[in-house]
Amino acid sequence: MKGRLFFILIVLVLACLSCRNSSRKAGEFVFPEADSVPVGEAEKLSAEAIADISKNITSPVEIANLLQVMEVPFSPEYIASSIDANRQNTNFDKALALGILGADLGYLNMYEKTGSSINILSAIRKLAEGIRVGQFFDFETIKRLSLNKSNLDSLLFLSIDSYTQIDKYLRDNDRGHLSALMIIGVWIEGQYLATQVMKQYPDPMLRDRIGEQKIILNDLILLATPYCNRDSEFISLCRNLQEMKTRYRDIRITYTLGEPVSVEKDGGLVITQTETSKVEMTDEQLAAIIEVSKDIRNKLIVNN
Amino acid sequence: MKKYFITLLFLVAGICLSGQSSDPLVTRCVLSAGDNARYLKDFRIQLGKAVNTTDLRYKANMSLWKNTKYRFTMCNADDSKGNLILCIKDDANKIVLSSFDQKTGKTYPYIDFVCNKSGIYQLNFDFENGQQGSGAGVVSMIR
Repeated sequence: MKGRLFFILIVLVLACLSCRNSSRKAGEFVFPEADSVPVGEAEKLSAEAIADISKNITSPVEIANLLQVMEVPFSPEYIASSIDANRQNTNFDKALALGILGADLGYLNMYEKTGSSINILSAIRKLAEGIRVGQFFDFETIKRLSLNKSNLDSLLFLSIDSYTQIDKYLRDNDRGHLSALMIIGVWIEGQYLATQVMKQYPDPMLRDRIGEQKIILNDLILLATPYCNRDSEFISLCRNLQEMKTRYRDIRITYTLGEPVSVEKDGGLVITQTETSKVEMTDEQLAAIIEVSKDIRNKLIVNN
Repeated sequence: MKKYFITLLFLVAGICLSGQSSDPLVTRCVLSAGDNARYLKDFRIQLGKAVNTTDLRYKANMSLWKNTKYRFTMCNADDSKGNLILCIKDDANKIVLSSFDQKTGKTYPYIDFVCNKSGIYQLNFDFENGQQGSGAGVVSMIR
């Protein structure tokens, strides 16, 4: 009996160790010359490059933070509440909805509408379990933190960290298409949020942020490209992203040079960048982006 | 004896489960960023001793946005030989900030960065003098 228990103990220790992951100028911005990266080329992207792209995508928390700086009040109308986790039949739908609701969760958390986030959390749980990544989402802790509103930072950390772990797990397990969908879902919902607020509360900072999305749109397309011929759902999504890119094509982002200014404060360093970026975007271009962002997002949640 | 082994079994299982959750060093670093900081991302850095110290070894890209004040907090594991340092370069490979002051040899534990140029930046981490170390870099927004 003692020998058997010792054997189980050794097996458990080895299993535990094997389960653990060891890790975890003055000018103008233009899209790369080719309209899209050939599928064959995109497939050659290294795991590191893909991981980098996924990190580049604007966090919905940053958009929500900007809205708070602008003193834009919270509105439940921006949330994709029509998404019914029980009616997402394919893994494509589940992963995309997981991204969209993740962005909504970030928005709710930043505005401390944490009581309202319980429904979204339940949907996220169902969707995550649907694509077999539920183990990375500590729902009970996130729910507890949401309800007691005591520690927003822990809540943000746990929520964002769960998505980061899901993303990494999917990529490491040859399910990169689902990771790409999740990231695209997050971005599309963040873009929808920013553009809808812009319609109601026009603001130069938000206008710039919308125009600056040109910087990462190409990366987003790069992320989707290897899967664009996978099935009809991906074909349609890639077409939508290309349409978005068309709307951004003539928007200009220019830069002015400058040297950073640093000051020591409270044991740390405060650095102010004097280089600046400037977005040149007409009202018509902005209106077209608002329109296409709404169309794409609504098409994606319409089957609910 | 049997009780002892069963207790030990549960203890090991507990360690395994806790190992699946977030890294304690990252958690500590997130919490040390300050009350006015909102967590965005973290980077876990584990490096052996460098053969040469010309370039910082851990590199990652991240988009930073205009009109945002970021805080980069660097934390070290107790057994690190040197302090974690961060150097950020823009897309033109120009250094925008460094937590290590080469003139004074001082390493800052955190840097607040007022970003006025949106773009994709390269975050470069290493330990002082290419030492062996384990650390976490946490990126937050300051409200």
